[in-house]
Amino acid sequence: MSTVDQLAVRLDDAVTSRIAIPSSGAGTGLDVPTAYRVQQAVVDRRLARGERAVGLKLGLTSRAKMTQMGVDEVIWGRLTDAMRIPDGGTVRLDDHIHPKAEPEVAFLVEGGAVTAVAPAIEVIDSRYVDFRFTLPEVIADNTSASGFVLGAWQPIPDGIDNLGVLLEVDGRAVQVGSTAAILGDPRRALSDAVRLADVNGVDLADNSILLAGAATAAVPLRAGSYVRVTVERLGTASLRVGS
Amino acid sequence: MTDVARAAALLRAAYETGKPVPPLRGEVLPTGDVDAAYQVQQAQVVAWEAAGRRRVGAKVGLTSAAVQQAFGVFQPDFGVLFADMAVPDGAEIDRGRLLQPRVEAEVAFVLGADLPFEQVTVADVIRATDHVLPAIEVVDSRIAGWDISIVDTVADNASSGLFVLGDQPRRLSDVDLRLAGMVLEHAGEPVSVGAGAACLGNPVHAVAWLAQTLAVAGAPLVVGDVVLSGALGPMVPVTAGASYEARISGLGSVRACFEVGETA
Repeated sequence: MSTVDQLAVRLDDAVTSRIAIPSSGAGTGLDVPTAYRVQQAVVDRRLARGERAVGLKLGLTSRAKMTQMGVDEVIWGRLTDAMRIPDGGTVRLDDHIHPKAEPEVAFLVEGGAVTAVAPAIEVIDSRYVDFRFTLPEVIADNTSASGFVLGAWQPIPDGIDNLGVLLEVDGRAVQVGSTAAILGDPRRALSDAVRLADVNGVDLADNSILLAGAATAAVPLRAGSYVRVTVERLGTASLRVGS
Repeated sequence: MTDVARAAALLRAAYETGKPVPPLRGEVLPTGDVDAAYQVQQAQVVAWEAAGRRRVGAKVGLTSAAVQQAFGVFQPDFGVLFADMAVPDGAEIDRGRLLQPRVEAEVAFVLGADLPFEQVTVADVIRATDHVLPAIEVVDSRIAGWDISIVDTVADNASSGLFVLGDQPRRLSDVDLRLAGMVLEHAGEPVSVGAGAACLGNPVHAVAWLAQTLAVAGAPLVVGDVVLSGALGPMVPVTAGASYEARISGLGSVRACFEVGETA
């Protein structure tokens, strides 16, 4: 088995076993192009189990995270239908390793055009111990993708570059931010995604949901809590955390 | 000389020489004695007014959960604003007036009525607000290295420096301050982001706290006062020659431009 396949199997097993794997640090020799091949292999294993590809997510879309990881370009991962959580639905902690929620904005891409926007929650769940990983490692791990909640789709209003964003847990605001944290304007995520999809041969028309990136830091999910994201002018998306 | 007088004299010297002084807490003022710190602030305010400075309002500080946690306090603080601290939108700011400036974006309230009540509701604040403006507060510390506790910052007029007000007034009824997004940009890059809820849940709450606190202290907010209600995102150290633009959703934008000069 190739090293690409070996790492893909370990990452995929971590999803099903809920046991995180340790980061190998800088010594692995994994480079970014190889990491995306691992990601593809991880996603292919999901598709082989009957999941359907439904879109893309972008990561490292804030200046702070780019600086933290020492990069100047966004990274991307793949979304499948099995990751979708209904708005107001329940996320079970037992199905995850150490899940966190992030407030996001989602776009709907249909027939090559962006037709709608929605408030969203992304649930991330790194398959690495303590969310510690190198850049190629997180790319290989499908950029920690685990789940997502979409609020109501709606036409894109004028000016979405500075909408207030609240992440509330049990009715208390725990993260406050703005869509400006997403590349200065989440619409820039669209052009990045279109370019990345093109370069990587991903058909965006068939993969129509695009998670544009986090507007604030991520918040760990705790059993029994209710998480709601509110985006100014776009509305809300929410989930419950079950044990 | 009393502790209060000594602390006020040290801070005055920092303004005059442009050289910050060591922290006051534990040395000149008892650690944790916030009342004494407000006496130091008041002593300076009295001296400034005697020197002819025109008082135009007040600022609220320590309004974010993260900052309160860092300071180990669970209430805001306030400082006094004077007319000569106001800088026109986009005007060059003379670095010589500042020691170690930082910028933060806020909502400024301009009052259309007095708020003399020792018990104040949000409804009182909404009724008394004539209009709101986007603002950049240029905060500054006379304490070396911004090594401040609650006592240091209160004594030092709540780390006030200068402020820039936007000039397009909006009615409170036309904006949703709680959800209003804020971005502070430098050279097209967001350097601080947030929203109204970062300021005590809603900037209106900060004004209510201030009105009540000042009324109890016997110096209530009055018609025409400007209130800087507190930062909507993290404050950012100023780079020499930099221009910062704050945009607050529904309120428009405002700019603070700093002269190229030596950095503090």
